[in-house]
Amino acid sequence: MPKGLRLLVIKEVKDLLRDPKILIGMILFPALILPLMGAAINISTGSLVEKSSGPLTVYVLDEDGGTVAQRILGFLQDNNVEIRLVRGSYEEAIKNVAGGGVLMVLPEGLSQKIESGARGEIMIYYGFKEFSILESLNAQRMSGLLGGFENILVRGLISENVPGANPDSILNPLLVNEKSVIKGVAQPISPYVLTNIVRMQGLMGPLVIMIVLILAMQVAATSIAIEKEAKTLETLLTIPVSRLNILFGKLVGSVTIALLATIANVFAFTYYVSSITSQVTSSIGNLDLASVGLIPPPEGYFLLGLTLFGALVSALALALTLGTLAQDVRGAQSIIGIVIVPIFLPTIFLMMGDMQTLPFSIQMVLYAIPFTYPVLASQSLITGNYAPILAGLVYMAFFTLFTLYLAAKVFTTEKVMTGRFSFKRRRL
Amino acid sequence: MARVVVVRDLVKEYPGRRALDGITFEVEEGEIFGLIGPNGAGKTTTLRILATIIKPTSGYAEICGKDVIREGMEVRKLISYLPEEAGAYSNLSGLEYLRFMASFYYDDDESIRGAVESAIAISGLGERLKEKTSNYSKGMRRRLLLARTLMVRPKLAILDEPTSGLDVTHAYHLRRVIKSYSKDHGTTVLISSHNMLEVEYLCDRVALIDQGRIIETGSPELLKSKYSAANLEDTFMKVVGFAQGS
Ligand SMILES: Nc1ncnc2c1ncn2[C@@H]1O[C@H](COP(=O)(O)OP(=O)(O)OP(=O)(O)O)[C@@H](O)[C@H]1O
Ligand SMILES: [Mg+2]
Repeated sequence: MPKGLRLLVIKEVKDLLRDPKILIGMILFPALILPLMGAAINISTGSLVEKSSGPLTVYVLDEDGGTVAQRILGFLQDNNVEIRLVRGSYEEAIKNVAGGGVLMVLPEGLSQKIESGARGEIMIYYGFKEFSILESLNAQRMSGLLGGFENILVRGLISENVPGANPDSILNPLLVNEKSVIKGVAQPISPYVLTNIVRMQGLMGPLVIMIVLILAMQVAATSIAIEKEAKTLETLLTIPVSRLNILFGKLVGSVTIALLATIANVFAFTYYVSSITSQVTSSIGNLDLASVGLIPPPEGYFLLGLTLFGALVSALALALTLGTLAQDVRGAQSIIGIVIVPIFLPTIFLMMGDMQTLPFSIQMVLYAIPFTYPVLASQSLITGNYAPILAGLVYMAFFTLFTLYLAAKVFTTEKVMTGRFSFKRRRL
Repeated sequence: MARVVVVRDLVKEYPGRRALDGITFEVEEGEIFGLIGPNGAGKTTTLRILATIIKPTSGYAEICGKDVIREGMEVRKLISYLPEEAGAYSNLSGLEYLRFMASFYYDDDESIRGAVESAIAISGLGERLKEKTSNYSKGMRRRLLLARTLMVRPKLAILDEPTSGLDVTHAYHLRRVIKSYSKDHGTTVLISSHNMLEVEYLCDRVALIDQGRIIETGSPELLKSKYSAANLEDTFMKVVGFAQGS
């Protein structure tokens, strides 16, 4: 590295690392936020599971008093339900669940109907207060329990009416065994669990990538504007250092920072993925997720890092080029405000769906945006579809070289001092 | 005596405006040469062209025989430029700033230290050089920047209004430093100014510039007697007045 460039890079990196906005926003934030989110998901689901498996209180208005009613109450009590018997009219009873809770009404004649082979009706009232996940889980639990009780009734009816028969083969004559086929190998994992994991990965990665990209671009775009505003650029342009070295000093400086941010990100992302997949592991038993292809292979992470880095460098080159034309820091920031739109695009489109399902024209637009590739790469961690990623790396290299060429063009002429980005035409 | 600066028919056009309209002058080695003229006359534009920051639309300029347009890098090794409006890196101390700038000019630590030492002396800022430059007053910052400009022993120092906006004490210090430095080291200085007193005190020769054209060139004494004026200010008013009248 030429001496002038080295001096400029050192100064640039020192300057950037001293800026708390950059240290916190680009390195600490992603390094902390993803593990924190993983932990938050674990804690909140954990405490939810704990709460929803505790005793469930059910108010019961028993107007029947027959044997079936007795059996229901007994069944519920055996299943960790606390029964509170209430009396009076049903209007009064319902007041009990005004603040949340469950009320079960067993109408008169229930036992008689069921025992005589007719259908009996019971009413369940779910009180809503907070509309929380816990309330809906309680409702799910209650209907699950009643389903279980119904099952017992059915089995009783079957063995009563069809002596010697196996109730199971009457209830479930068709045994459905679902498996997911991943990379040609059938795995004992439900398709719903699988898609959930894939979606979660495809969602979080891009979000963090976006934040880092935006910050890094601001760094690069403002780096020259800062020198203009502080009136240090004019001096810098007259010392014995080539213009290209000044430009590359800025680029290498912001790339160095971006690289640190990328490393922090990939580590945080790895941690996040492993923390949510470990949760899944425990919920589906001892399935080897790595062999299923759900824990991404190292080359997947390598590619993700590479595309992230590529996207950062191209974003920085673009930001630097545009920032060169800005008169001051505010100007540079507003330029970046516009360029940010194409960064959001791939993230938004790809978060919602797959590349293949999008209209061809939108696919083309997305493939033309360098920031699409890290998003694709974070999805390909699971799909293993690396081909578009590799093509994207080549594309990003060309994109970067081209924008850098433009930046050099601007920077080696006097436009860097006299040029200005104005949206209105100058009047002559 | 060798000619350090040669400027021939410099024209600079900005969109819709001709900032320089054929500027021609020469500066001899060891001379302090002043460009004086009203606001917008084209002083900064001329100095920026010589400092390789902007390119002329037409015309020619060289410094020590090096073409400022085609041999920019060579020219930058010979000159040291103090812009009209300049700042220092605000999160560096004065000393760190000097060291940083000196290291672009010298390879070995000893030369860098030597340059910084001379800058410390030139600035006269003493202990305050250890403070961050963001704490400096305008006058202190200007002293630091002039010290930075001169510490690298340039063949040509280009100073764009070195004392404008400073109080008497700072301006006095800067003028004395420029004059004695040029004398001690034989440094050629090209300076622009509004302050006629300053120009009379400092400059061996001056060029009066107005509306992108040089109207008169000569030593302050010569110009004063030519226009039978008591001081340079009168001369300036007479010359510029003539120019506008014609
Ligand atoms: N980047 C630019 N774009 C357009 N016009 C410019 C630009 N820079 C300078 N000018 C114009 O060129 C002319 C000469 O400007 P210059 O800065 O050289 O004057 P000056 O003699 O240094 O004035 P001052 O004493 O105010 O510093 C002015 O009319 C100015 O408006
Ligand atoms: Mg000026």
